[in-house]
Amino acid sequence: MKDFEYIQPETLEAAATMLGDQDQRDWLGAKTRAFGGGQDLLGEMKEGLEEPERLVNLKWIEGLAGLSELGSGNVQLGATTKLRDLETEFDGGPLAAISEAAKTIASPQVRTNATLAGNLCQRPRCLYYRRPEAVCFKKGGDECYAYGGNNKYNAILGGGPSFIVHPSDLAPALIALDATIEYQNAGGTTEIDLEAFYTLPSEGDVTRENILAPGDVVTAIRTGLESPGEWRSTYVKFQERDGFDFALAAVALSLRVVGGQITEARLVLGGVAPRPWRCHDAEKLLVGSMNAADLEKRTAAAVEAALLGAEPLEHNAYKVPLTKGLIGRAVRQLARS
Amino acid sequence: MVRQDKDGIAWPAPDKRRAIGKDTKRIDGPVKVTGAARYSHDVRLPGMVYARFVTCTMPKAEVELDFEAALAVPGVVHAKRTCGDTTLYLGEPIAVVAAETPEAAAEGARAVVVKLTELGWVLDSKQALADGAPEVSRRGNIGRERTKSEGDVDAGFAASDKIIEVAYTLPTQHHSCLETHGMVVDFRGGDSAVIHGSVQGTFAMLDGPPETLGLDMSMVEGDVQHMGGGFGSKFGVGIEGRVACELSKELERPVHLMMDRETEFLASGNRSGNEVTFKAGVSKDGVVQAIVSDSNKLGGLSGGSYADQPFVYSVANFSSTTRSVYTNLDGNRAFRAPGYPQASFGMEGIMDELAYSIGMDPVEMRLANIPKDEWNGVWRKQLRRVADEIGWNEHPHKGTPGPHSIEDGNEYVEGIGFGLSVWGGGGYPTCEVECRVDPGGSLTVSVGTQDLGTGSRTLVAMVAADEFGLEVGQVTARIGNTKYGRANMSGGSTTTACMTPAVKDATFKMRARLLELVASNTGKDAAKLSFGDGGAVVGDGLNIPWMDVCSLAGASGVTTHGEFRKELQASGAHGAQAARVRVDLVTGEVKVLNMICMQDMGLAMNPMAVRSQIQGAMVQSVSYALFEERLVDVDLGIALNPNFESYRLANVHSIPEMTVIIDEEDDRGVIGVGEPPAIPGIGAIAGAIHNACGVRVRDMPLSSSKILMGLEELRNA
Repeated sequence: MKDFEYIQPETLEAAATMLGDQDQRDWLGAKTRAFGGGQDLLGEMKEGLEEPERLVNLKWIEGLAGLSELGSGNVQLGATTKLRDLETEFDGGPLAAISEAAKTIASPQVRTNATLAGNLCQRPRCLYYRRPEAVCFKKGGDECYAYGGNNKYNAILGGGPSFIVHPSDLAPALIALDATIEYQNAGGTTEIDLEAFYTLPSEGDVTRENILAPGDVVTAIRTGLESPGEWRSTYVKFQERDGFDFALAAVALSLRVVGGQITEARLVLGGVAPRPWRCHDAEKLLVGSMNAADLEKRTAAAVEAALLGAEPLEHNAYKVPLTKGLIGRAVRQLARS
Repeated sequence: MVRQDKDGIAWPAPDKRRAIGKDTKRIDGPVKVTGAARYSHDVRLPGMVYARFVTCTMPKAEVELDFEAALAVPGVVHAKRTCGDTTLYLGEPIAVVAAETPEAAAEGARAVVVKLTELGWVLDSKQALADGAPEVSRRGNIGRERTKSEGDVDAGFAASDKIIEVAYTLPTQHHSCLETHGMVVDFRGGDSAVIHGSVQGTFAMLDGPPETLGLDMSMVEGDVQHMGGGFGSKFGVGIEGRVACELSKELERPVHLMMDRETEFLASGNRSGNEVTFKAGVSKDGVVQAIVSDSNKLGGLSGGSYADQPFVYSVANFSSTTRSVYTNLDGNRAFRAPGYPQASFGMEGIMDELAYSIGMDPVEMRLANIPKDEWNGVWRKQLRRVADEIGWNEHPHKGTPGPHSIEDGNEYVEGIGFGLSVWGGGGYPTCEVECRVDPGGSLTVSVGTQDLGTGSRTLVAMVAADEFGLEVGQVTARIGNTKYGRANMSGGSTTTACMTPAVKDATFKMRARLLELVASNTGKDAAKLSFGDGGAVVGDGLNIPWMDVCSLAGASGVTTHGEFRKELQASGAHGAQAARVRVDLVTGEVKVLNMICMQDMGLAMNPMAVRSQIQGAMVQSVSYALFEERLVDVDLGIALNPNFESYRLANVHSIPEMTVIIDEEDDRGVIGVGEPPAIPGIGAIAGAIHNACGVRVRDMPLSSSKILMGLEELRNA
């Protein structure tokens, strides 16, 4: 790892100034980086994928960590909140998907250091991206090596030109809870839907997975369910190895249940696309009665709709039945709860 | 039965054993769990420099190196080439950088300017065997073909009611030792040096380093007090040892050269992969009539290992062909029963596939093909026992697999599989042990043997303690240093059977010497004296405490020497394993729920260590069966997973409940048990998956993705 300067500002304004005050037109040239738990960035630096000259630690900034109620039952989660603090907080409630997702991430050691914003903004785990000698789209190159190579862990939806999958577990869970993300830069504060925060390789900067510019600092996430008390949610993740692994596929599902009827559903897939993958058509199909037989029939239609556009690569066709199966499992789980 | 030779040397009868044969905690357990144990990695010496390799990122290349920038990194003191003009394998160490700190060494290694001119290479058998393929080395890409055969396979197939033709493949498995390969060389000029090596043979440190250092062998001391695993990969000092010595000689400073994890993955050996085709026929009574197998051994630059077929089972008509296919990858090394798990995976698979093809219970099928001349009926007994223990008798589907689709809402199905193993594990004359008693009461037993992590140090103390009725903790066991008596490397499960007889011999002689001393000082008859509890000499009206006995030794103490005693050991280990798995029909995930291992090993010296050893083997089998696989992009020529993130090892969630049954009817002398339990587990797990849901995965690892695709295929059929 190259030597770097480590700066510990105490205010958000100071941090935003340091991050914004640099000659960086794009991320590949950015030499000053925001530093939270370091669980992804330090790994990238050790692997030689990133060589920042300055790290701006965000953890000393007051008010950036922690959970607060937003009155209605929705919550605000500070950017530097540790994953460990999300693990059990929402168990059994409408926002259960957050805790269920947090629990599945890496190990207790990692979760004790890792921050929420770091998890949402983490870089891909693609086998090729992680090897310095493979200069792919994500690193300013002009090829996706996984596309014609070992693509067992890559995208079946939304891929091209890069076929990475977004590795975050919390992102799909929070999108299923209609969350927004707030970030700040020298120009002020912006809050947008978390769903709109993520980009496909074909849409935005192919070297990035979201809309953040180098000077932006994520400050908070807020769930935005309408009448949260009427909702239930879950996160079902499948890892190749149980524990300390990324998702081969994951399903975040929230249902609004009023008088035995599902009146609204939000279904977001993880591990199968370059961004958390919202399934609008499938959501509509899930709306209706909670009657078991009826729900089972609609679920069968919904899983087909969710994977309708899937285009598996040579080695990841298994992700189609896997994801379908996980959606069914998630629905059954919520129907029981 | 207690075997004795003409001198009356024998292991104590079961009712006379105090430490031997009893669960005994490791004497070095506390220093290990508190972190006080010093491994080679932990050695820190005044003036020491840290060295780091630069590895080749192409499978084969001409290498040009420029060290100017590396030498300009603050703290870097030396940098040099470690390869020839051209490399031979992906990840070959091509240069080394030495610096005052590990960080500076790593930064220096990154600063070396490497210019590679790519040369033709091959990374898998398809590439290696293609027409006009680049030659891996001058010997070509295919090794000598060897065929072992018996009987008449055509007649065997003619007598068969069912014939199957299948192919099995196994990936390359890494040793994944907790401590990476490396050495710390303590040479500061002058005429002597001390080497701390993570090696599984203490005396390996005298093979090469003295010449490299330009020192007389007698002036070089090798030391390995604790080492973090070897599994067969650490027999020699390797390139890391040679380069550490070169640097130390050139700098006249101590050098710390331990591989980083990536280099460890790329350049420290592995278990070879295999591609095997089988044609096998069975008659309706379950007797395998013929087997033809043909195996490519994929050991990179080395020949690979694969035991001949039919493995364990007896088949009247067979032909087993093996050949090495070379590639530009790191050569395989010995790895816990080299070639045996690979052969077992295929053969147990064949037993299962033939059994199901005729609708026969796979246990009955195995019983029908166990060699008629098996020793003592041991496999039959073990197989029946593990089948009983795992619940085979109550199992609902034996000769047919369970459901491949969700029925009545059951998303999980269970299955059971089996495997058998065979190994040698005997000793041979090699260890020379010194036993010493001081007048102050200390009993010291020394031998150069290394403790690979299996508990050898504790065995030294146990054998000695038993001889005198002392507590294990009263014995000072000195091992792992070339100053002590010679010893063999820990390979082939031979350590226990080589070392403990020699320890017994030395302490047996010491016992006689001490009893003679007591007799001559008391005027009693030595023949009537013996050691009672606590080391007291009793008999003929005497009861002399241990300390008083030792005081008779005089200022210079008493020393005896022991050598191998073949009567105290035996060879020929047999085992059977059963695995119960649960398959998730939604995801294809396999959980190994429990595994049973029944194993013979003659006298189980330390049953606690034996169980630990066998449990470790079962964990390694789960990991190998379900997860482990070296990934290389054979088109780009790059390694994809030289790290513990994407080279997956089983973790605590994957570990089954494990039951170890030590075959207590086995009254032979000691037999090593390191390797045999690592053989049959993968075949048993594969069989259990098939028994659960009907999916037969023939290429390891038995990943959830393959099982799910297999389930889909069955559902759509």
